[in-house]
Amino acid sequence: MTLSTVWVLAAQLASATTPAGPTDTILVSQARAPASQTAVAQRELQAFDASRFDSLTATALRALFDDAAAAGLPVRPLVNRALEGAARRTTSERILRVVREHALALRDAKQALGERSTDDELEAGAIALRAGLDRRALELVRGSRTKAPVVVPLVVLTDLVRRGVPAATAQEAVAALGRAPRADDALLGLQATVAKNAQRGPGMAVDALHRYVKTVVVTSPDAATSTSSDRKPVRPPAP
Amino acid sequence: MSCALLAVGSPAERLLAQVRGDAPMVPAATIGPVTDAPTFSVLGLASLPDGSGNALSQRNDVWLGATQSVGRLGPVRFAALASGNVRVEDGFSNGPNAQGLLSLRARARVGENRLWSAVSYGRSAFNGNPSAGLYNEALMPSPRADGDVGMMTARSGAMANDTTVTRRVDAGQLARLEAGVVTTYAGMEFAVGMSFERATRVTTQTMTLDVPRVSMSVPSSAGEVINTASLRTMQRRDVATGIASVGFNTGQTQWLMSVTAPVASWVNNDALAPRAQSVPTVASLAVVQPITGWLSLVGAAATNPATLGGAMLRDELRDRHRSRLSPVVALGVRLSRLPWRDNDGTPTGILAFETRTLGVVDSASLERVDHGPDDNAMATRDTLRVVLLVDAPRAESVELMGDATQWTVTRMQRLTSGRWRAELKLPPGAHRVALRADGGAWIAPPGLPIGNDEFGSPVGLLIVRR
Repeated sequence: MTLSTVWVLAAQLASATTPAGPTDTILVSQARAPASQTAVAQRELQAFDASRFDSLTATALRALFDDAAAAGLPVRPLVNRALEGAARRTTSERILRVVREHALALRDAKQALGERSTDDELEAGAIALRAGLDRRALELVRGSRTKAPVVVPLVVLTDLVRRGVPAATAQEAVAALGRAPRADDALLGLQATVAKNAQRGPGMAVDALHRYVKTVVVTSPDAATSTSSDRKPVRPPAP
Repeated sequence: MSCALLAVGSPAERLLAQVRGDAPMVPAATIGPVTDAPTFSVLGLASLPDGSGNALSQRNDVWLGATQSVGRLGPVRFAALASGNVRVEDGFSNGPNAQGLLSLRARARVGENRLWSAVSYGRSAFNGNPSAGLYNEALMPSPRADGDVGMMTARSGAMANDTTVTRRVDAGQLARLEAGVVTTYAGMEFAVGMSFERATRVTTQTMTLDVPRVSMSVPSSAGEVINTASLRTMQRRDVATGIASVGFNTGQTQWLMSVTAPVASWVNNDALAPRAQSVPTVASLAVVQPITGWLSLVGAAATNPATLGGAMLRDELRDRHRSRLSPVVALGVRLSRLPWRDNDGTPTGILAFETRTLGVVDSASLERVDHGPDDNAMATRDTLRVVLLVDAPRAESVELMGDATQWTVTRMQRLTSGRWRAELKLPPGAHRVALRADGGAWIAPPGLPIGNDEFGSPVGLLIVRR
């Protein structure tokens, strides 16, 4: 079996479950050598334990990692997805599909969050996109925090949506808290509050979200106006 | 009658037709005590040749086992275990041949150790007619030298047509009490315990006798004289057994090695009863290999079928050449939960009651570890030491896997407060993690942000900030 044959097999396996579209640039190139890798990508690839996969799957995964690295995308999240799939004893086809879809999500997140985004931000953005948020939501989060990292806002936004909070409501809450002092603490407090109340139903989660945001915004020193609440206040995050 | 029967026939070397009630059980710990999560297992059991040439002891059985948590009372958790054997192939071809065992097990944590206790009750019913091929070598025993008497057996064909066992019915009962302690050291679970069991068996044999002086002769419709007799005997065995086992994981593969050894035994027989075999020391190895999240492959092997797992009574074959090695192998599957789930990962369907097990993890939190003077040995410039704390005081074990562990299963350490702790080295960012308690389903740590469940099982996100 020649090297080119291996790559062709890997390409066929990688695209076996998801048809290649014209916009899908994260694909295994057929009959070519792996792309050059950066030192960071090489280091991240060291975490890839190929022995957990059959040889064909491992080869296809390496090809996907190479293409992601060549596109300037972080490789570690892809490696972690592959390892998770192996740990959960899922099929090779599903592992390849998940890794490939996540690579595409990372690419979209990079386009939405900007070229200068960190790997952690891209990972958080990809998770948000795969949870059902659109690129516009990511752009709004980036626009509200041009200098600070957007990892926490994106993670909290994703969690709120997954717990049943409407996307528009969640975006407004994250944007409001993003302007508060110690915004990350406030956002994580919001996440904890919603998570606790979501066990009693989506309506309770939304209600708790509104009360929390109102409380934090009111108690922040730079709040423009003061409002009163006729409901029991939700405790803000501990300092 | 008994004396007349004993007088017939010649001294015997083997009692091939009398091997009953020795169901080859896999170690009970393979299926049951590992977890309280509901499981259902189906295994095929096969006895390997033991060198005695006794084909009757080599049987094929289907083994069914199930476990189900039945609630808790204070710190004590209860689980019900049920298992049964159905014989696939045997020299006795007619009638239902099965045995079953029901157990109620209690477990409780005492400090760093766990105590377990169980009470079991079992019944067996073996009902069949010996096939003709079994009698080729079957001979009659002579009274043993120690004064104990032998038992009546079959004889046919060209040999003396004195007595033929035409039917044998065994009804057995078993009661067992067991208790022990489990402790964890170096990631391995060590268990020691004791059990006491009492097994009784009533054997009813119907024999055709060609001895004219037997008074029970009755004419058949053809005018032929048929002599029949029934012999009912009872035997009882009390045995105290020591148990020791060690269990560990290699990746997701679970291993369990156990040894059961008799400490003392007492056997009471009716004069003509088959002599019950003393319980041998049994070593066993069991492997559980997960295939998917709900399906596991189970393999087991034991040096002897007479394990603690439920053998009622086994007849003694030979006095002087008793086989101490009668290997048994088993292969099958274990269904730990149904594959369909709700959106939050809670199993649905007939095993939905497992949600009670899922709820054993109350909450999870992440704490930053202050940098110490030897921090260079623990963390690099790009990583931080964080501690994941899980509130699960009712859990007996908590494991995690995630980005921080390269998605290998890692046991968490139990604190005296009932919380569970794992120290991780992580760079700043969001890291995926999943937990499970007591070998149950993988869940996202309660309270932490939820990540995507691309592989059909929820994960949580650990947020590490500088």
